[in-house]
Amino acid sequence: MYPKIVITILIAALLGSMSVFRVEQWEQAIVFRFKEVHRTKNEPGLHFMVPFIDTAQKFSTQLLNVDQDPQRFLTVEKKDVIVDYYAKWKISNVEIFYTATKGGDFTYANTLIGQRINTALRDEFGKRTVQEVVASERGETFDIVQTATSQLPGELGVTVKDVQTKRIDLPEEVSHSVYERMRAERLRVAKDFRARGEEAAERIEAKADRDREVILAEAYRDAETIRGEGDAQSTEIYAAAFGKNEEFYSMYRSLNAYKNVFSKGNDILLLKPDSEFFRYFNKSKGK
Amino acid sequence: MAWNEPPGGNKGKDPWGNRGNGEGPPDLDEIVRKMQRGFGGLFGNRPAGVGGNNSPMTWVIIVLVLLAWLSYDMFYAIDEQERGVVLRFGEYVTILQPGPNIRMPRPVEKVYRINVGQVRTLTHKATMLTQDENIVDVEVAVQWQISDPAAYIFNVNQPAATLRQVTESAVRRVIGKNRLDFVLTEGRAQIAQDQKIVMQEILNEYASGILVVTVEMQPAKPPEQVKAAFDDAIKSREDEQRIVNEAEAYSNDIIPKARGAAARLREESNAYKSKVIAKAEGEASRFVQLLAEYERAPAITRERLYLDSLEAVLSNTNKIMIDTEGSNSLMYLPIDQLLKNRSNSTLNDIVPREFNPDNPGAQSLQNMRDRASDRLRGNR
Repeated sequence: MYPKIVITILIAALLGSMSVFRVEQWEQAIVFRFKEVHRTKNEPGLHFMVPFIDTAQKFSTQLLNVDQDPQRFLTVEKKDVIVDYYAKWKISNVEIFYTATKGGDFTYANTLIGQRINTALRDEFGKRTVQEVVASERGETFDIVQTATSQLPGELGVTVKDVQTKRIDLPEEVSHSVYERMRAERLRVAKDFRARGEEAAERIEAKADRDREVILAEAYRDAETIRGEGDAQSTEIYAAAFGKNEEFYSMYRSLNAYKNVFSKGNDILLLKPDSEFFRYFNKSKGK
Repeated sequence: MAWNEPPGGNKGKDPWGNRGNGEGPPDLDEIVRKMQRGFGGLFGNRPAGVGGNNSPMTWVIIVLVLLAWLSYDMFYAIDEQERGVVLRFGEYVTILQPGPNIRMPRPVEKVYRINVGQVRTLTHKATMLTQDENIVDVEVAVQWQISDPAAYIFNVNQPAATLRQVTESAVRRVIGKNRLDFVLTEGRAQIAQDQKIVMQEILNEYASGILVVTVEMQPAKPPEQVKAAFDDAIKSREDEQRIVNEAEAYSNDIIPKARGAAARLREESNAYKSKVIAKAEGEASRFVQLLAEYERAPAITRERLYLDSLEAVLSNTNKIMIDTEGSNSLMYLPIDQLLKNRSNSTLNDIVPREFNPDNPGAQSLQNMRDRASDRLRGNR
């Protein structure tokens, strides 16, 4: 009696658990009836299905991520850039998604989406310069892939919501020449600064030199003027005094001059005794 | 507990079993006994008598434990910094605020506690290209919070990883739109602000429920490979200033000196002026006084001055008196010899010093004039 009840309860519980499934807030589900898609509109909550006949498979409704290895693209200047991007996508049609991706294999789906985006980016980067790629506006990368991914909802049942570049790098060998260029630029800046310093210094020193010359020359001018005044005044004084008796001044001055001229003692005079000085030299009475 | 009791366990030692024997309402006892029997049948090998003894109490305990567990599972004390996201059979119902909350037990409702108060941090360091194709090392620290717990767990797969992707993307984008000099120097605050805006835009687009509180940017650095060149460029700015300062120093050195020299020139010229005037006045005065005396007795004064002067001249020179007028014989004068002898300071031997009449006036005039001319030469 009791075992039968218990077994019945257990079986009922088992069947009950097999006939319901819960869909979380971030999920959606496909109910298959004999492997055929029976219904797909499954909101979050508890749902019923027929045991053994129906099976349910759940899929995410969240924003999913494609994060691929960095890709090497060629820009219009034939420069390689290494681009690392991520894409965000959602399942827009779970039935198509299930069919197109080997029964809802997310890794496989990521590969497919990644390939589409890569192709689109490769085409578009080939039309742009490195600078345009690096300084692209937000959403621009997404716009690039918009057309390429616009078929995806129909083909894979997914919608690409966003594509963003995480890194845009130059390959190692190019980086090296970038470093060289940066170094050269810094050198240019450094030289510029130093040369400007030299220039300013040269100006300052030249101005100082000029000022010095001017100061000295002006001082010389003033000094000569003053000396001239002195000379003029002294000449005036001399003239006033000596002019009182010019004849006596000539004699007085000449006699002083004789004394000065013969003051060194290195001179030899050949004298004839007929000068005024020797008036009494030969004759005691004079001339 | 009772479920874990080994079959045929020691019933004498079981305190609940003993106590439960006489207690409990009889009708409950009856029901329990019946069920016990049923379970006994289920387990097959359990003797009915064993179960019969403790069965009513076992069920009470089961119910109590169940109630305890339910009350535990239904009661949620949400911390002040947390919110509880309630899902009923997976479907979002509500958000629990801090404080005590009662929800339905586990299989029906599930509560995710999400910490919305905590400010989390994430650092990101990378080398990236600037707009002018230079390379720069950038490090940012992002502080973020969960602003919408439901959105945070529902909308984005791996929200934290997504935040990292968004950070990398936003930092790269903002750096890529600015020039190296701006990034390295004054642009830091501006760039961090831009990064925050870009990040928040993207996160809102994803409906990620994440709020970026701040973006702190460490000073951007040029890559290690070019650091020396950058340092040198910075040094050059200092050098510029240094060179200018040195020139200023030079200027400050020579101009005051020049002013000093100029002052000296002026003073010297003033000195010269004063000197020549004084000298002129002195000489003039002397002459005038002498003249006055001369005019009193011109002839004798004239004679005296003449003789005094010639005496002074002749006493200080070598003299050869020639008194052979009209002679046609050739005279030989050994002038070389004479000069040599004189330079051997044998002057006095050859020409013995004559009697020098006392003439102090003439002598002192000479001395004074010598001194004056020495001074003149020295000063000019």
